[in-house]
Amino acid sequence: MIGTARKPMEEILQALDGYDKITVMGCNGCAKACKTGGEVEVDDMVKALNEAGKSVVWQVTPERTCYIQHTTGSLQGHEKEISSTDAFLVLGCGGAAQVARQAFDEMGMIMPVKIGLNSVGHLDTVIAGQLAIEQCQECGDCVLNETGGICPVTKCAKSLLNGPCGGAQDGKCEVDPARDCAWALIYDRLKALGELDKLKIYREPKDYGKSNKPRTLVIG
Amino acid sequence: MKITELFAKKTFVLTSEVGPVKGCVRETEASPSSPFLDEANLVKSCVHAVNVTDNQSAVMRLGSLAGSVKLKERGIEPIYQITCRDRNRIALQSELLTACSLGIDNVLILTGDHTTLGDHVSAKPVFDLDSVQLLKIANGMNNGRDMMGNQLTPPPQFAMGAVVNPNSNPLELQLIKMEKKIKAGAEFFQTQAVYDPKVFETFIKQTEGFGVPVQVGLVLIKSAKMAKFMNEKISGITVPDSWVKRLEGVPAGKAKDVCVEMTSEFLREVAPMCQGVHFMPLGWSDVVPRIIESAIK
Repeated sequence: MIGTARKPMEEILQALDGYDKITVMGCNGCAKACKTGGEVEVDDMVKALNEAGKSVVWQVTPERTCYIQHTTGSLQGHEKEISSTDAFLVLGCGGAAQVARQAFDEMGMIMPVKIGLNSVGHLDTVIAGQLAIEQCQECGDCVLNETGGICPVTKCAKSLLNGPCGGAQDGKCEVDPARDCAWALIYDRLKALGELDKLKIYREPKDYGKSNKPRTLVIG
Repeated sequence: MKITELFAKKTFVLTSEVGPVKGCVRETEASPSSPFLDEANLVKSCVHAVNVTDNQSAVMRLGSLAGSVKLKERGIEPIYQITCRDRNRIALQSELLTACSLGIDNVLILTGDHTTLGDHVSAKPVFDLDSVQLLKIANGMNNGRDMMGNQLTPPPQFAMGAVVNPNSNPLELQLIKMEKKIKAGAEFFQTQAVYDPKVFETFIKQTEGFGVPVQVGLVLIKSAKMAKFMNEKISGITVPDSWVKRLEGVPAGKAKDVCVEMTSEFLREVAPMCQGVHFMPLGWSDVVPRIIESAIK
């Protein structure tokens, strides 16, 4: 999922300065899982905006706001609320906010779309409802088959491909001693799998051309 | 002079490290030298070459290439250190061509400390290449090609060194990487600081068949406080309790004497196992000649 964290209220109100009638749009996908943009958090935001003197016109939480069909579908039939809105506040990732803007563009409207969250990474939920960590950075050239299913590009602070740096100590990373050294994890895993020979293979420099931004994916 | 020529002649190779200053080295009539050059001068007559660190500990300073060239101009053989932290593959290769053009013969290739350990913690860490890859690319450049196979006319001609950490646990993982560095083109190794002869012996026994010269690395310990700090804060280095105890209560005026004594004892034990010593004096370059006098000569 895309991890999100809420922006400070002060920053949100600054972004909404000059706009009085607000619609809050959440996201029942990743932002719900992060407890930042599901229906519960949208309710909280509506209360906070009301307390700050804003007038909340409407609230809506599409299934996945980054899917254009969900966002467009959630707006249909609500032309009245939309026309009386000065600005939308999206509680979703940066992609959700931009898809929302696209939806209004396609409706022929110039609607200010503001964002109430910071996107903090492609994260995996490893303790349900409690903790998500970054394990993949979508490099476009996956090495998991060679590294025991543990990604050094993401989990090594230096993205090293040929083994650990000299700073690792007792299996911990020099950047944060609370964090496991990715290469110590890979070593343990490959040893358990009887595949330590894979560590001896020279890994070529990564083709970072495959992750040049912005990327596109033709789905169909 | 390539340091590898000395190893080939079975010379016991002595090197010491000098960290470039936070500022410039620009001699004027009013200020004809600098602390950087003064420190290098302290070891000039007793070591074969002087390493110049590349923004060591991710603290921004004078570049290691400028520092290396300044030493070369004064007749001190530099070992130019280059890390993968701050430059992408284009900049690293270009820097190597620049270094050769400015007269550098020895290069030590490292990954580099992470940006978050230094004084510019919000910097973007680069690490486009790792140390094994840069060694292989530099080796290819020595053989006339950049990493994309384009011809270099004329190519550089470096003696290439690398680093290894004998304290690392599991050691096997570190040894696998060391072998990769050798295959990639590393011709000599300087180790991370070691203080326990047994740790060094274990390491050296497992690298005997590797066929590359190894210099034992030593950060000079100035006080019990520094030893404790290194144990707590510097990843990859362990100073044994015996060293800490011996330094406890030693007055500042006697600290250098004790440092010479302890370091010399250690070196007399480990020197026969390796092909040289690399000192990291961290400002105590004046102590290096005393240790060499006491332990090596």
